[in-house]
Amino acid sequence: MTWTDEELVTRSMGGDVDSFNQLILRWERPIYALAYRVIGREEDARDVVQETFLRAFRALPGFKGQAKFSSWLYRIALNLCRDWIRRQRRAPVMQAPEGVELVDLASERGPVESIEDLVCRRELSEVVADAMKLLPEEQRTAIILKEYHGMTFQEIADLQGCPLSTVKTRLYQGLSVLRRHLEKNAKTAPELVKRV
Amino acid sequence: MNAEFTCRDGGALAGYLYGEADAAERAVIEAHLAACAACAAELAALGAARSALAAWTPPQTDLGFQIVSARDADTPAVQGASILRPARWWHRPLPAWAQAAAALLIFAAGGALGMRAGDVRTVSQPARPAAATQAPTAAASVSADDLAALEQRLRREIADMRPTTAAAQPVNASATDEQLVQRFRTMLAQSEERQQRELALRLTDLVRDFDSQRRVDLALIERTFGQMEGVTGPELRQQREAINYLIRTASQRPQQ
Repeated sequence: MTWTDEELVTRSMGGDVDSFNQLILRWERPIYALAYRVIGREEDARDVVQETFLRAFRALPGFKGQAKFSSWLYRIALNLCRDWIRRQRRAPVMQAPEGVELVDLASERGPVESIEDLVCRRELSEVVADAMKLLPEEQRTAIILKEYHGMTFQEIADLQGCPLSTVKTRLYQGLSVLRRHLEKNAKTAPELVKRV
Repeated sequence: MNAEFTCRDGGALAGYLYGEADAAERAVIEAHLAACAACAAELAALGAARSALAAWTPPQTDLGFQIVSARDADTPAVQGASILRPARWWHRPLPAWAQAAAALLIFAAGGALGMRAGDVRTVSQPARPAAATQAPTAAASVSADDLAALEQRLRREIADMRPTTAAAQPVNASATDEQLVQRFRTMLAQSEERQQRELALRLTDLVRDFDSQRRVDLALIERTFGQMEGVTGPELRQQREAINYLIRTASQRPQQ
């Protein structure tokens, strides 16, 4: 039987550790993807994931269910990412993502994708990662939540604690910077985009 | 929702791009896009940027976090909870103050080691060359008899020391620690002295061999020069006699 998040939360609050472990299993990948894209470091993203669930578990008795459990998790994770960025302020805000193996990309896309396409995708991934470094944290986070986590403007506004119109503006400005960067720094970007 | 659209309104374009504009707003924007090439191009470019974002994938990694222990069965055991930690959890960058402290510690340790190594050199250098450098300088002015006498004296001293060292080897089980340490120090000092003497003896042998070889070489050189003089002397005399004969003959011809 598949439990909903709310049911698993209720069971966890009743002391069922296995239920919370199911929540971890369900949400650790999205939280990891969020953390990785926001801070750009694989190992640190793992740390963020661990700390997110640890804090969530500790704060579980105080979770009243006003928001979705996933939104609550995202909020914890984003706060941790923000803390990490503050700690790294003297260093580059977002370092280059660690190399993605072609084999991993192949496994994601399936065996029909050619090596050439894989290389193009990797190049484009690096271009995008470089472009994302240029964005202020708020714009970057808004784009990540929208593009990769499918949140609505309102959900992003709630998470970021800002008006809905601000979210739209952040998305527009962030995308504009990305577009300019792609046009300027990736001569083959249109081709890459077509391939992707 | 506002059904009006101002050209280049980024927020409204973002809403339209992500499909979050309501029907009225969407209709207004679509009407504008049909007439405004700049906004249409802008929207297309933003769409291309979104497509590029799809290529950015996080690396595959093993997560598998779990709550592994709980102390209280009735309520979530917050204090007793733990999460399986990845192997590199400790790999978090140290704070700046900690890095500076570590660097200072390493620098201090390195400095201390360097000073100690310098001390060792300073202490050991005078002892080592005492025999090594003095012997060659002395060899320049001593005779073979002096070297032979020195060798004999060294051998005698070494022979005298051996019984003493052998007698010191048995250890009295009832001796106190201090006595044992004292005896050990004595043995160590004797051993060092014996080694120095043996080293001096080896150097004396070396100097003597070198001196003997030098004498042999000098004798060979002198003999070679003597042979050369023995060969060239008669030749020179014959040439001188031939020249004298020619001069004499030449001076006699006009008179005939």
